[in-house]
This record gives sequence, C-alpha cells and structure tokens, in this order.
Amino acid sequence: MVMQRGPERPVPVVFTGSRRELVGLLLRGYLLLLPTIGLYRFWLTTWTRRFYWSNTVIDGDTLEYTGQASQLLVGFLMALAVFIPLYGLFFYLSTQSSDAAIVGYSLVAVGIWFLIGYAIYRARDFRLSRTLWRGIRCDQTGNPWAYALRRFGWSLLMLATAGLAYPFMAVSLWRYRYVHSWFGTRRFGFTGSWRLLAGQYYISYVLGVVIAGIGAGIGAAMGAFPPSGVANPWAYLPIGIALLLIGIVILRYQARELSRMFSCVRLGSAALTVTIRARSLLHQYLRYGLALIVAGTVLATGGFVVLSFIAPEAFANGDFNLQLFLQHMQGSVETLIAIVLGYLLILGGLNLSRELFLGLAFWKLVANGARITDIDSLDTVGARAEDKSLGGEGLADALNVGAY
Amino acid sequence: MPIPARYYDGVTARVRQVGLLYETEGDVSYLLVVEGEARVPVTRWPVKALTMVSSRPDELRLRGRGLPEGARLVVRGTAAIARMKAGLPVLERRQRRETRQQIGLAALATAALAAVILAYLYGVPLLAGRIVTLVPPDWERGLGGTVATQMEASLGAPITLCDPAPESTANMALARFGAKVLEGSNSPFTLDIRVIHAPVANAFAMPGGRIYVFSALLEQAESQDEFAGVLAHEVGHIAYRHGMEQLLASAGTGALIGFILGDMTGVSVAAGLGSTVIDSRFSREAERQADAFAAQASYHQGFDPVGLANLLDRVGGDDALSRALALFSTHPLTEERKAALDALAADRPRDLPPPFSPEEWMAIRTMCGSSGV
Repeated sequence: MVMQRGPERPVPVVFTGSRRELVGLLLRGYLLLLPTIGLYRFWLTTWTRRFYWSNTVIDGDTLEYTGQASQLLVGFLMALAVFIPLYGLFFYLSTQSSDAAIVGYSLVAVGIWFLIGYAIYRARDFRLSRTLWRGIRCDQTGNPWAYALRRFGWSLLMLATAGLAYPFMAVSLWRYRYVHSWFGTRRFGFTGSWRLLAGQYYISYVLGVVIAGIGAGIGAAMGAFPPSGVANPWAYLPIGIALLLIGIVILRYQARELSRMFSCVRLGSAALTVTIRARSLLHQYLRYGLALIVAGTVLATGGFVVLSFIAPEAFANGDFNLQLFLQHMQGSVETLIAIVLGYLLILGGLNLSRELFLGLAFWKLVANGARITDIDSLDTVGARAEDKSLGGEGLADALNVGAY
Repeated sequence: MPIPARYYDGVTARVRQVGLLYETEGDVSYLLVVEGEARVPVTRWPVKALTMVSSRPDELRLRGRGLPEGARLVVRGTAAIARMKAGLPVLERRQRRETRQQIGLAALATAALAAVILAYLYGVPLLAGRIVTLVPPDWERGLGGTVATQMEASLGAPITLCDPAPESTANMALARFGAKVLEGSNSPFTLDIRVIHAPVANAFAMPGGRIYVFSALLEQAESQDEFAGVLAHEVGHIAYRHGMEQLLASAGTGALIGFILGDMTGVSVAAGLGSTVIDSRFSREAERQADAFAAQASYHQGFDPVGLANLLDRVGGDDALSRALALFSTHPLTEERKAALDALAADRPRDLPPPFSPEEWMAIRTMCGSSGV
C-alpha cells in the first residue's frame, strides 16, 4: 500500500461503529448490572468507551482507550470520601428549621456547582490520558481547581449579565481546556476568540427574546394567564410554538458554536475543521424524542398489563382504583418486585435512548464532520512519560456529570 | 508470506506498514517485524511478552510487556487475524485469563458490596441506637420542632390543641401519668403531651420529647387501659429516642441506595421505596421495645397493656392506607403482639389503682368536645 503524503491533504475522520453493536453491548451490560448490584457500571462504561474510541478512525488508525474498569471503581470509592461528609451535612440540614435549612441547602448547592467544574476537568483528564493514537498518549495538564474557579466565576458573571457574557465564557473555557491538552510531547492550541461567537450568539439571543415575547403576548391575549378563573387551553398553543421556535434557534446556534470552536483546535501546524449542520442536530433531537415516546409507550403498556395481571381487582370496570391497588399491595411481594423491576426497566429504557440517540448520534456527527489538515506534521511527535494516577473520574461519576 | 500489520513503536507518532513473521531462536519464539519487499527486520517481540488489547472485531491489537507503553502491532481483516490466532494460540489463552481476572474482580467487588449491605441491614439498627446516644438532646429538641412544623404542613391545617389550658384537669393528669411512666428511664427530655384536633386516629412521638395524640384516637379508646397503654407506648418511643434513631437509619439507607445506583445526587423513587422496606424491619424492633416499655410501666401504673394492642388494631381498621402498606408495616401483628404483651405483664400487681381517677378520665375524654360516653 502506498501512503499519500503532503501538507495539503485534508484527512477525514471516520466513524465505523454500528448502532446494533452498541445496543448489544449496552443490553448485555444492563443485564449484568443486576447480579453485580450495580457495580458492573464501571465495566459497562469501559466497554462503551472502547466501542467509541476503537471505531473512530483518523487517517487509517483508530483511537485506543486504555482505561480500566478497576480504575473507575477506585475513583468512585475515592469520591465517596467527599460524599459521605456531604451526606452527613445534608442530613444535618434537613433536621434544621426551614429557614436555616434553605440557607444551608443553597450553600451546599453552590459548593456542588463549584465542585462540578473540578469533576468535569478531572474526568476529561482521565479520558485524555487514556487515549492512544498511533502509539502516542494524549494528556491534560493544568489545575482542575483553577478550571473550577474559572468556570464558577464565569457562571456568576453569566447570572449577573442575564447570559450576555456567554461568548466570553465559552471561549475562555474552551481555550483553557485545549491549551492544557497534549498529544504526546505536542501541545494543543486554540485560536478562537469571542468575536467568532458574539455575532451569532447575540442574534440568537435577541431572536429568542423576541419570539418569547410574541408567544407570551399572543398567549396572554388569548387568555393563558387569567387573573382569575380557568385559562383558555388554546392560548397555550402560541406559547408552545414559541418554545419550539426558540428550541430551533438554540440548536442552530449550538451547531454553529460547536463547528466554530472545534475548528479552532490546533495541534502544532495540524488543524481540525468540524462542520456540524443545525439540521443534523435537530434530527438528532427529534429522533431522541421519538425514541422516548416509543420507549415510554412500550413500558407503560407493559407495566399496565403486568399490574393488571397481578392486581386485577384494581383495574375492574375499566378504571384504576388506587385505594384497591394499595390494598392489594398488602402482603404482595409480587407487586413490590413488579414495581422495582418496572423502575429498573424505565431507567434502562431512558439510558438506552439517551446513549443511542444523543451519545452515539453526537459522536458520529462530530467525527464524521471532522477533517484534519497537515496531519503528517504529527509524525515527529514523541511519547509522554507514563501517567501513574490510579483512580479515574470518581467525582464526576458520583455527581453524574461524566460524558461518554 | 508475512502477515501485513501496522506498527507503532510507542516512541514517536510515526506509523509503519510492516509484515509479521514467526521466528524461533533456541526455545524462545519471537514475532519478527519486517518492513518492505526486502523484509528488513525492524524489531522483534518475544511471544511470551505479547497480550491482546481489546479493539473492534475486525482488528487485532497487540502490545508487549517490557516495551514502550504505546507500542502496538495492529492486524486488520478476518483472514489476517485468523492467521495470527492460528499461529499464536497463546494469545487467546491469555485473553481468556484476562477475562477471568476481570470477572473475578467484579465478583469480588460484588461480594464485598453484598457484605456491606448485609452488615448494614443488621448493623444499622445497632449503630443508629449507639449514634443516637451521641446526639445532643438540645439538637434533638430543636429537631422535634422542625418535624412538628412539617407534620402541620402535611396535615394541611394548623394544629389546634383540644385543651389549650396547661393547668386543666385533663392536661395535668396526662402530664402526671407521662412523667411517672418516663421516671427512671434516664431520659434527658421532659414530656410534652399534646392532644390535638385531627380526624385520623393516630398518636406519635416526636424526637425531643413531644407526643401528639389525635382526637380521633381518643374518641375510639374504650377504656383507660387502652388509652394509657398507647400513651405509655409512645412514652417508650421517647425514652428510647426512636424518632431520632429512625431518622439516622433512613439517612444511612438513602446513602447506601445512592451508592448502588451510582448517583449520589439524585433522589430517586427506588431510594425512597428501598428505605421504606429496609426501615420497616428496624421499626418493628422499635415497636417491640416500646411495647415492652409500656408493659414495664403497667407494673406500677395499674393498667392492662394488652389494651394498647386492641386500640391500635381497631384504629388500624379505619386507616386504609396503613393497612394497604402492611407489607411495610411498622407495627407487629396484633395477635402476636397481644401474646407478647400478656407475657411481659404476667406478673404485674392487679391491685393498683387505675392511672386516672374517674374525674380525670372524664376530663380527658371530653377535652376534645366529644360526648365522653
């Protein structure tokens, strides 16, 4: 095989994974969660990442995820050290008078909001430092506390400016992440500036405010918020349409932001270009919504059938009698098991839909929309020293902010 | 024919198209990596050091012990992979061993978690009982106030006392009875018995020494024995600080279920349901303790504690929800309970005067405005 070389050659990123493969992997994983009392989730995450990484092909070579499930397990145990005192604090607050409890909860919520920034950065570090391409490991340096502080400060500014600070925040955080990212001995760069986002952002912002105003105005005129009496149900229609339009405006902006920000990522003289169409993003969310509706319908029908089988009296005469149903639960272990299983099925259905129609779809969208120029300049990159950190992203896991 | 492969040396990001050949030197076998038509040797990896790295089904990735961290040989395509595996059966053996190790690790972690859960189920009642003695009584008193506020909110109406005058005959009699029953239990709390207007027949003890008796319960009491028994039972909860114990136990259960579900922030349905199931076990024990406490009180207060089981059974019939949740019931079954109370109070002196004088009992029965007949 002859390899074509040359600086002008833009190389596409290709994703080769199939949805069916991921479904098989996830379903097997969900089943194994039961006998392992939930602990298999660390292995499931590892397998899912291996699927994503190993199917992402850059210039003929796939990524490799080298993380181990045991590292995630250890990381989670370490996160417990943070959470057990926090739990104690929550308990203490819940026993206080309501005013003190509200103040306390708010403080804890602010603390967690701060901690989420730290967790996100550490999780990204874990994933990057376990990513191998052409035998060279990626890595992330920088201080997670500094990142958390930065993110926290920006979010305060966002509140103070009613969201107008967003383009500055986005660029600042993107830059911090990429300037501290490495491929082997070579440092990533980020060429973006707020000017790239500002125009689109403020147009979308004004558009959103105007649509919201018009929707609310028409709705109010039709009687959606009467000072007294019953609201006119039709008046919610213009409000609903306005929300839908705002959703489209947001997606359109998101697609532009992602395309532009990703396209500012550099690695030496190699440059990344990503094109994500708003249409594709919209389709992705529509499919996700459809998947949720299908999953919900299937589960609801199934649940109804099972419960009417277990507690037939409660469903007599075509309507559901809660009193009778609760009475039936007296001594009925079957009903309890059915409820627990139903809960787990709902959880599984939601997770599956999210992973397939948001996770996989988004990964595909970014990967298939990406091109890299001057990739040959990476030939000279050397390997970094080994990463010795033991546990991975436990806090992110516990805070439920982990991605992929 | 060499097997075509891609080779990363793990030192630089250069990829090389190579061929793989087997080579044996003495009794050590090697995987020889060659490049180009001329088969120029690049490197050789001892077969003993090779392991497979998991990858897509159509790709076989090898790494080697003692080599740079990222050094890999990548073979693609079904035919080439089959040739590799046929030539190096040891690879699949090693992979199976690796899988077994992972299964072992998962099984070990699961067993450890199961042990924690079991220890928890049996240990928490004990532990909560121990921890509760460390809770400062002042804090518990404050907590009682908070719980009362929450209860008021859940009743949907402000709590109104049946007889707001603390010096009335009825309130004085109740206070005297409560204090006598609590005497000698070393409780740090002063009792505060409040009879309130409420349509549901119920009575409960708050953390911190407050007892609520609902007017509907009082109306259903047919004798002093029944009412005094229930009251003594509630005083038992105060003496043992069961309310606090229960709170501690529920908090622990929530944490454990959060751990199992892997989401420490989410308050989920399962967590609620789970705490109910687990805590009911704990509460039954608490109910038995309170019953025993009431039986003990009957030795010096002159009432028949079996009456408390009768009253609670009668009252339970009215409360459809509590019957419906019998699976999670916090009260022991009536028959079993009566027998236990009977046995505990077997030697009580039968010649003691009743806990309340006829005037006092009349005052108590009429304090909520009912006929008192």
